[in-house]
Amino acid sequence: MLANVFAKAVRDRTVSTLIGAMSLGLMLWFGLAVYRDIDISFYQHLPEAVLELMGVPSEGGVGGLAFGAMYDFMGAFVLAGLAIAMGASAVAGEEQEGTFALLLGNPVSRRGVVSSKSLSMVALIGLGSVVLWAWGSLTPGWLGIDVSGLHLEAMILALFLNALVYGTLALAIGSWTGNRGAASGTAIALMVIGYLAASLFPLIEGLERVGQIFPWHYYSSSRPVINGLDGGHIAVLATLCVVFVALAFVGVARRDLKDKSLGTNLFDRLRANPRTRKVMDRIAGSARVSRISVKTTSEFQGLLVITSGIMFYMGLMMGPLYSFVPADIVDFFADFPDVLIAMIGGADMATATGFLQAELFAITGPVAVIVLTVAMGARALAGEEERHTMGLLLANPVSRATVIREKALAMVAYAFVFGVVTFAGTAAGVLLAGIDVTVGGVAATSALLSLFGLVFGGVALVVGAATGRSRLALGVSAAVAVVSYFVWSFFPLAETFAPWAVVSPFELFLGSDPLANGMPWGDAAILLAIFLALVAVSIPLFERRDLRG
Amino acid sequence: MNREPAILTEGLTKHYGEVEALVDLDLEVRRGEVFGFLGPNGAGKTTMIRSILDLIHPTSGKAIILGLHSHDDAVEIRNHVGYLPSDLSMYPNLTGRDMITYFANLRGGVDLAHVDELAERLQADLGKKVGDLSSGNRQKVGLILAFMSRPQLIIMDEPSTGLDPLVQREFQAMMREVGAEGRTVFLSSHTLSEVQRVADRVGIIRNGHLVDVETVGDLRSKSIRTVELTFDTPVEASVFEAVPGVRDVVVADHHATMSFDGKMDTLLRVATDRHTLVDVNTQEADLEEIFLEYYREEARS
Repeated sequence: MLANVFAKAVRDRTVSTLIGAMSLGLMLWFGLAVYRDIDISFYQHLPEAVLELMGVPSEGGVGGLAFGAMYDFMGAFVLAGLAIAMGASAVAGEEQEGTFALLLGNPVSRRGVVSSKSLSMVALIGLGSVVLWAWGSLTPGWLGIDVSGLHLEAMILALFLNALVYGTLALAIGSWTGNRGAASGTAIALMVIGYLAASLFPLIEGLERVGQIFPWHYYSSSRPVINGLDGGHIAVLATLCVVFVALAFVGVARRDLKDKSLGTNLFDRLRANPRTRKVMDRIAGSARVSRISVKTTSEFQGLLVITSGIMFYMGLMMGPLYSFVPADIVDFFADFPDVLIAMIGGADMATATGFLQAELFAITGPVAVIVLTVAMGARALAGEEERHTMGLLLANPVSRATVIREKALAMVAYAFVFGVVTFAGTAAGVLLAGIDVTVGGVAATSALLSLFGLVFGGVALVVGAATGRSRLALGVSAAVAVVSYFVWSFFPLAETFAPWAVVSPFELFLGSDPLANGMPWGDAAILLAIFLALVAVSIPLFERRDLRG
Repeated sequence: MNREPAILTEGLTKHYGEVEALVDLDLEVRRGEVFGFLGPNGAGKTTMIRSILDLIHPTSGKAIILGLHSHDDAVEIRNHVGYLPSDLSMYPNLTGRDMITYFANLRGGVDLAHVDELAERLQADLGKKVGDLSSGNRQKVGLILAFMSRPQLIIMDEPSTGLDPLVQREFQAMMREVGAEGRTVFLSSHTLSEVQRVADRVGIIRNGHLVDVETVGDLRSKSIRTVELTFDTPVEASVFEAVPGVRDVVVADHHATMSFDGKMDTLLRVATDRHTLVDVNTQEADLEEIFLEYYREEARS
C-alpha cells in the first residue's frame, strides 16, 4: 500500500463521488415527495416487465417505490459507473496518459500501485454508499413517510458490492491490456447486458435461469430493500470482487507497459493497409482537413452521433408510447403538482402534442442540443488556445475573424443535422402511431430546437473568445441554460415574475406551442438573430485579446 | 516583393501587468540573412516573436514585417511567413500528412513535391498520427510546415528541440539555402553554438532588453573561453592574473582554471615561462558568461 498513491486517487475523485451520491439523495427526496402526493396505484397497472426494468417492487408502498427507482435502479448504475471510471483509469488510464511510467520511476512496485488504487476505489464507493445511507435514513422522517419494514442497510451493502464488481472488473481488464477504452467499455457492456438479462429472462418461460450467469442477478433478484440480505448472493458479489482484484495483480505484473499512446482504431488500420489506403485517406484524411469548418466538424462527429441518435430514438419511441398510455393517464397527470407540470413548460400531458413536448422537447431535446453546441462553442477557440494549436493555425494567412466564422459555420451545420435527425425520428414515430400531431408541427419544433441550441453555442463561443478558457465557457453557458430554464418554467407560477419568462430562450422555443401551432417565424428569427449577434460580438473580443499559450 | 527589411521593430514593448517582458526593442533583420536571436530562457524571445506575428498585442511600439504593419496587415504578412512555435503542439489525432494538407489548404499554392523533398531530407514519418510521434519526429513535421510554402521569412522559436545531430546538420543546411535564395530566417535559440553555426548576425536579448546585435565573427572574437591549464608542479594564481583578459582564476594544486578573452599566445607564453605545461583544455564559455561579459562592458563604459 502506498499512502501517497492512495491519497491522490481518493482526492482526484472525491468531488465527483460526492456529487453523484448527493444527486441520488436529492432524487430520493424528490421521489418520496412526489409519490407521497399522488395515487401510486397507477404503477400496479404497468406490465411486470416494465416494473422489473424500472427496479420498482410491487410491494413496499411509497418508500419501496422511491427506494426502488432512485437507489436500487439509478443508484446502482451511478455507483457502478463511478467505480468503472476509477477502475479503468487506475492502471490503463495512467498508462495512456504516460504517467504510469513516471510513477514507476519512483521506488514503488506495480502491485503496490494496484493495491493502493483498489483500496482507494473501495474507500470512495464506501463514501458514496455512506452518503446514500445518510440520505436514505433521514429523508423519510422529514417527509413523514413510514418506511418500517424496508431494509435500507441491506440495500446499501448490495449497492456497494455491486459497484465494486464492475469497478474491479474494469481494473482487471485495464491491468491486462493497458487499454482504458476496452476496460470501461467491457465493464459497462457487462453491466447493461447483465441488467437487461437479469430483469427480463426470469419473465420468459423456460429461460428463467439464464439471468443467473450475470453478476447483476446476484445484486437485484433477491430485492434486498424488501427482503433483506441474501447471504449467498452477497458472497457471490464479494468473491467476484476478490477474483477481479487478484486478476489485476497478476495482469499488471507480467505485461510490458505501453507508452503514452493514442491507440489505433479501425480507421487507422484501414489507412495503413495499402489496398484500402486510398479510399480511407479520402474519408479520414484529406477530406476532413480541406478547411477549418470541415476539420471542426470532423472533431465532434462522435458527439453528434450520440446526441442526435438519442433524439432519433426517443422521438421514434414517443409516438407509439403515447398511443399505449392508458386512458386513465389523464387523471394521473391531473394529480401532478403544479411544480412538476411547470417543469415541462405547463404542457398538457393529456394531449398528444403536450405529451411529446413533455417527454421529448421540454427537457431531453434542450439538454441534447445544448451539450452538442456548447461543447463545440467552448472548444472552438478556447480549446485550440489551450492545446497550443491556435498560434500554429494563425501562422497561416487567415484572420481571427475567419477562424470564428468557420467555427460558427461548423456549429450551424451540426445544429442543422441534429434538427433533421430529430425531425426524422419524431415524425416517423408520430406517423407510425398515427397520433394527433402534424408533421409540420414536428418540423417547426425541430427547427426551433436547432436554433435554440445555437444560441447557447453562441454564448460559449463568446466566453471562449473573450477569455480563452473552455471550462469557463462551458460553465457560463450551462449556468445561462439553467437560469433560462428556471425563468421559463417556474416564473409563470408566481404572478409578479410571470412577465419575465419571455426573456428566456425557452420561451422563444416552446412558448408559442409550435407542435400544435406550427412555425412561429418571428420567434425563429429572434433566435437566429441572437446567435448571429453573439458570433459578431465574439469577433472583436477575440481580436483585441492576447492569445494564450 | 518589396525590398524592405524582413523585420523592423521600433520601441517594441510588452508588459504583463507589472512584468516587463519586452522593453523598447529596436531591431532590424535584413533580407537574405540568417538572423540568430539569442537569450536565456525567459529573456523575452517568444514574447517578441508572438508580438510581431500578431498573436499578442504590444503595449507600445510597432513592428514592420516585410514592409507591412504587424497588426494591420497581419493576414497579408502570414502569406509570406513560415512559423514554428516553441513547444510545438499539433492536432494529435491527425497524421503528419493530414497536418500538412490542412495548412496547405489554408495557405494555397503549396508545392507538394517540395513537401516530399523536405520530408525526405529530414527523414520525417508523415503517415503516423502526430500524437504518437516522439518530440523530435513531431518537430520535423513542424519544420516542414514552416518551410513548405517557400516563404520570404521563416520565424522559428527554438527549432532544434529534440532533433538528433544528423538531422540538425540537414536543418542547418536548409536554413543556409533559404538565406542564399535571398529569403530570411529568424531563429531564436538559447545555445550559442547552434546560432554560431548558421547565423550571419546575432541579436542578444536578456530580461526583455536587446543587449547587442553583432556579426557572428565579432561575437566569436569577443567570446570568452574557459581555459584549464595543468602543470607538473603547483602554481600560483598571481602569475595568471597579470595577463590581460584573464579573470576569475582558480588554482588548485597543479591546475589553474580561468575565464579568458585575450590573445591565447600571450597566455601560453606566461604559462610556459616558469613552469612545465602538461595539458591545455579550453572550452567555449556558456551563454551566461557572455552576458556577464556584456554587462561588465556596459558598466565600464
